[in-house]
Amino acid sequence: MFSSIEDQNRAGAPQNMLPLAAGSRLNKGKPTYLICRTVRSGQRFEYPGNAVVMGDIHPGGEVVASGHVIVMGTLKGVVHAGAEGDENAVVLAFRLQPIQLRIAGYITRAPDNEGDFDSGEPEIARVQDEAIIIDKYHPGTEKRWLTKSLKQEEVEQNG
Amino acid sequence: MGEVIVITSGKGGVGKTTTTANLGAGLASLGKKVVLVDTDIGLRNLDVVMGLENRIVYDLVDVVEGRCRLKQALIKDKRLESLYLLPANQTRDKSAINRQQMIKLTEQLREDYDFVLIDCPAGIEGGFKNAVAGAEQALVVTTPEVAAVRDADRIIGLLEADDVEALRLIINRLRPDMVRKGDMMDIEDIMEILAIDLLGVVPEDEYIVVSTNRGEPAVLGGHSKAGQAYHNISRRLLGEEVPFLNWETGNGIMARLKRLIGLG
Ligand SMILES: Nc1ncnc2c1ncn2[C@@H]1O[C@H](COP(=O)(O)OP(=O)(O)OP(=O)(O)O)[C@@H](O)[C@H]1O
Ligand SMILES: [Mg+2]
Repeated sequence: MFSSIEDQNRAGAPQNMLPLAAGSRLNKGKPTYLICRTVRSGQRFEYPGNAVVMGDIHPGGEVVASGHVIVMGTLKGVVHAGAEGDENAVVLAFRLQPIQLRIAGYITRAPDNEGDFDSGEPEIARVQDEAIIIDKYHPGTEKRWLTKSLKQEEVEQNG
Repeated sequence: MGEVIVITSGKGGVGKTTTTANLGAGLASLGKKVVLVDTDIGLRNLDVVMGLENRIVYDLVDVVEGRCRLKQALIKDKRLESLYLLPANQTRDKSAINRQQMIKLTEQLREDYDFVLIDCPAGIEGGFKNAVAGAEQALVVTTPEVAAVRDADRIIGLLEADDVEALRLIINRLRPDMVRKGDMMDIEDIMEILAIDLLGVVPEDEYIVVSTNRGEPAVLGGHSKAGQAYHNISRRLLGEEVPFLNWETGNGIMARLKRLIGLG
């Protein structure tokens, strides 16, 4: 599903987009991509790995990744983590106010008729009991979620 | 078989999207089954004006490129049972679809809906041509300004050349106070230039801004003048003869107006 990345990013993203070392701790075997820009309305970025956005995602902007997505700024657009089916993928944002959030095959959307709700703290979204849930982010706890895919892969590999 | 109506203007920002949303909601609240199609690919707005942006999963381009079935992309309105939206894609551009695909799509939609309302992008290029491809009727939106009327005239010429048959005019953002002072073109001036039937007049109304920001078409909420005007236009679309309101015309020109639109 990532074949059209080049095509979709013609607007000139590549110079702002640095794939970090493959096989980083976050998600074994998957590279992590750094997006050093604001993702604006109409822009869509797709990555075969994890994505870290060093800025905001505006309403109408979209980031799709097969792994985790971390947003250092405010997430107001749409993020799809675990886009190839990884239900252990998480979305972490400094301010999590998405229009819509997708993890693997699950979707959740912003409530109707409520302006921007600002919890005032970083939050993490993940799949639990067949639904996307959003938790306050406690520094340190992210390891539990971010390395979960990795651990499971190891378990699978080691039998 | 439903009616396929394109809402177009030539000039940008005169109220096509506002009109599409309000007539869609107006017709649906009068019991009709309505689908709105946003063809402004790359600059979609209709979903925001309808307050449905958070429900979009698939869009028009996904449908024509076969990534999903038509039914999967249709978003049900949150207030009205019989109102649906087919949103535009936001990341592509107007060349992502072509006329044949639009014709096929509208043929499919009109089998299930009483009205297919198409929100057209500004301009006269590809996006406009795609939007009008499947339409047999057009509502031309203009504001009482020389440039907008000029562009509307240009659009009407193109629509006629394209065999769109029923062409009707909606004058938006009229300010009766300015017209009375002679500072704004009046309805008769505009009708004389454009020479097509007048379907309705929508006043300049702050409530449009409020309702647009809330994602709630004005025709549904409260008793705003613009909402009332859209309600009347919806009824006229259903063939009812709804008299023009006083503020729409100013008492003086009521008679002439009736003559112009053939009600008198
Ligand atoms: N009757 C009205 N009174 C006050 N404001 C209005 C009225 N109609 C439209 N507007 C405002 O004008 C602006 C443009 O309206 P709209 O988006 O419907 O135009 P458009 O023709 O679809 O524009 P575009 O060509 O960009 O698609 C909006 O901000 C809308 O709120
Ligand atoms: Mg518009």
